[in-house]
Amino acid sequence: MNAAPILRIENLCKRYGDFTALHGIDLEVPDGEFLTIVGPSGSGKTTLIKLLVGMEQQSEGAIWLRDERLDRLPANRRPTCMVFQSLALFPHRSVGENIEFPLKIRGEKKPVREQRARELLDLLRLPQDYYKKRIDACSGGERQRIALARALAFDPEILFFDEPLSALDYRLRKTLEKELKALHERTGKTFVYITHSLEEAMVMSDRIAILRNGRFEQIGPAREIYTRPQSRFVARFMGDVNLFELRGGVDGSTLQAQGLSAKPDALGTLDIVADRHNTLVVRPERLRFLGPESAAEFIAVGTIAASYLLGSRVQYEIDAEDGATLVVESAAEAVELSPGAPVRVGFDRSDVHVIAERAA
Amino acid sequence: MPVPRWMRVLLGSYGVVIMLLLYLPLVAVFFASISKARYLSFPIRRYSGAWYGEALGSATVRDLLLTSLLVAAIVTVVSVVLGYFAALAFARYRWRHRRLFQKLVLLPIFFPQTVLGLALLMWFNAIGVLPSWQTAIVAHLVWIAPIATLIIAIRAYGFDPMLEDAARDLGCDEWQIQREVTLPLLAPGVVSAGLFAFLLSWGNFPLSLFTTGADSTLPEWLYAKMVSGYSPLVPTVGMLSVAASVLLILLATAVAMLRGRFATLGRSSRTGPPVPEES
Amino acid sequence: MSVRERRLGAFCAAPITLFLALGFLAPLLVVAAFSVMPSRVFDLAHVPDFSAFVEFVQQGYWKSLAWSIGMAAIATLILFVVCWPLAWAMVHVFGRFTQIITALVVVTLIVSENIRLFGWSLTLMKGGMIEGMWRSWTGAGFDGLLYNVPVIVFGLVYVYLPFMLFPLVQGIAMVPADAPHAAADLGATRRQVLLEIELPLASPGILVGSLLSFVLAAGAVAESKLLGGQAVIVISDDVETAFTYGQNWPLGSALAIVLIVLVGSLALFALARLDLDTVMGRAER
Repeated sequence: MNAAPILRIENLCKRYGDFTALHGIDLEVPDGEFLTIVGPSGSGKTTLIKLLVGMEQQSEGAIWLRDERLDRLPANRRPTCMVFQSLALFPHRSVGENIEFPLKIRGEKKPVREQRARELLDLLRLPQDYYKKRIDACSGGERQRIALARALAFDPEILFFDEPLSALDYRLRKTLEKELKALHERTGKTFVYITHSLEEAMVMSDRIAILRNGRFEQIGPAREIYTRPQSRFVARFMGDVNLFELRGGVDGSTLQAQGLSAKPDALGTLDIVADRHNTLVVRPERLRFLGPESAAEFIAVGTIAASYLLGSRVQYEIDAEDGATLVVESAAEAVELSPGAPVRVGFDRSDVHVIAERAA
Repeated sequence: MPVPRWMRVLLGSYGVVIMLLLYLPLVAVFFASISKARYLSFPIRRYSGAWYGEALGSATVRDLLLTSLLVAAIVTVVSVVLGYFAALAFARYRWRHRRLFQKLVLLPIFFPQTVLGLALLMWFNAIGVLPSWQTAIVAHLVWIAPIATLIIAIRAYGFDPMLEDAARDLGCDEWQIQREVTLPLLAPGVVSAGLFAFLLSWGNFPLSLFTTGADSTLPEWLYAKMVSGYSPLVPTVGMLSVAASVLLILLATAVAMLRGRFATLGRSSRTGPPVPEES
Repeated sequence: MSVRERRLGAFCAAPITLFLALGFLAPLLVVAAFSVMPSRVFDLAHVPDFSAFVEFVQQGYWKSLAWSIGMAAIATLILFVVCWPLAWAMVHVFGRFTQIITALVVVTLIVSENIRLFGWSLTLMKGGMIEGMWRSWTGAGFDGLLYNVPVIVFGLVYVYLPFMLFPLVQGIAMVPADAPHAAADLGATRRQVLLEIELPLASPGILVGSLLSFVLAAGAVAESKLLGGQAVIVISDDVETAFTYGQNWPLGSALAIVLIVLVGSLALFALARLDLDTVMGRAER
């Protein structure tokens, strides 16, 4: 991977009348990276991708492709390519004609086009006899691959993806996620991917950028986002998580964590920041059930509310003493608890991540 | 690619020009109807509303009005009934000859009306029926019932068959399903079709010409006057006819808007799980 | 296809099928029958012959047919060029205004064709709205723009505009929204997007609009009478004359049959290639 960023977004703003979709975002993408931009509905991710491919113009800011202004180029002259959510395959053309389309409009001769199309069929693991097949005769997964092949045909600098897997069923999605990752490694191209599913992002990406209400909440490698979220929003975005809000001052003695009883100096050892709203984040798999003699630095007491079997693991919902709900995940064989059973759960300081946010 | 601003302006102007051209002849007719002179020439020297008075007071005009109205009213009712069932057969139910049916039902629309009118005249003659305003109704229907079918079918295409299944599951029999589910959902299409049927019949000339026999409709009278030499009553009565049509449309639109139906005219009746949202 | 639906479908189709069989098919059969009757008879109790068709060729009626077809073809071509940008704008640019334009166009449809053509003759004639006003401003007049072939074609274009416009709008609406964007993203210029993507995918609408306009224009007569002053005689005019002044039902029938067969086979050929379900209803997909 080249050190210089291939894509640079500088203070990008987009306003629609009174409404601001993007509030001056910045982003640098190194060459060859698989970056996923994740955000819920309304976060601005579709707006962002439209700006990147040229379907809209920004209100302020710039987009650079290496050292050229990408946003000054019209959509059809950008050396980038998008895979649309609907795939946008041309229904009136065959598979081969779809894949060859970028080459055809660039004036390439038929033999050249056909050879390239057949290469791409191989790369995307589609049978050669699909060359003449009609698009509507192809399955959902096959259409995905055809769309990818078409996007790669003219060798673009960056590939953009607008939630292409969201309409597929679970198994197909899982398979294609892995295939996309493999494709990325095989081609070495820069992939910029948009999705609302953090889980999907974690499977495929080198880095994840979390978008919320037109601003990036956090950008970093998947591991980091998962273990060290920088806001409660990001922490919750991954799914069930235990959050303990801290009340009181910095002085350890007056610090209270909602629902927890902590060993006297335990709280003091955490990286709590003064004048900020601090929250302790503990993933469900880091909470453990304590036997009557076991101890931990932080303990909570409550009763089992419900249990859910997640395949090899079980998720327990616990009504804690102060009314909070805790979530614990354990291996299915480890414990077997029924609703109503009283329990003690605990964790240590190494299981905790502290989020320090500006007081709202 | 977003449409650039200059293109939007150009296209908008283009649209406006076409609309103006579309209505230009009606403007000329309007001016002619208020010109005092007996022989028309522009620019108009003197204006008068006298012709309107004469037109409205004329017994001939009143008879024509009545005939046209009667024919149009009956055509509306019959074409809507025929069209309702035909639309269900067209778009809703899967049955063996459906595709053939679709093409054959639409055929009369593609037909030169003059030829159709004459063919019907010969047919009535062959079966011994004397042409009158009643035969004109049949003639209008041949052309208008397929159009009514088309309009209702467009609505029927958006109809979710699951709704009928759900009604049956909840205990309705076939007639109840029609009354409670199918008809209310297709109602906006039925109303549009009725409106179209009325107005198309009201303004129709070629079919009326040959099949009304001794009776006469408004468009027939206008035509006869037009070719036999200019009379100021022609533009006048023409304008009245236009005004009546426009009034009817405005009335229907107002009623539809008040009932909020306007909002549903374009939407289908599908209420399934939402499509994944864009953000 | 459940049995229930099959029965319901056939049951619902019955009323209109019966009606059209009696009101459309039967009259056409009568016309066909009359076309092979000897000249100037008013009933069918005669030995069939093809004298009327011979007359069609020998008396030059084929020229009227040629004029009708020719003018209809030119009018259809002009209509396509005129309506495409408007239809495209209605789908992609005008937003809410599309409904207003639709309403305005529909209203003109409802006004009797005769009144509208009459209005054009008032506008274009000598002493009419254009010439009269011009003369009063500049002092120089001209003969009026009526009574020639171009004005007939103009009349055809004017009257049949809605019949090209609405199918085109429907056809353009059928083009999947993303396809032109994807084509542009892949590098296509505006022209390439139009030729490679938009026109092919809108083809059902183009086909229906062209067919409708052509067929109706070929059978039209009012334009040539009211605007063209019969500068040329069109086939429907001949048919009408044969039936009324000519008192020659067999001749009229023969002329009508020629027109019907020509136009009808074109219509059936084009309709057969269309999947009406896709054009009309499942346009959302």
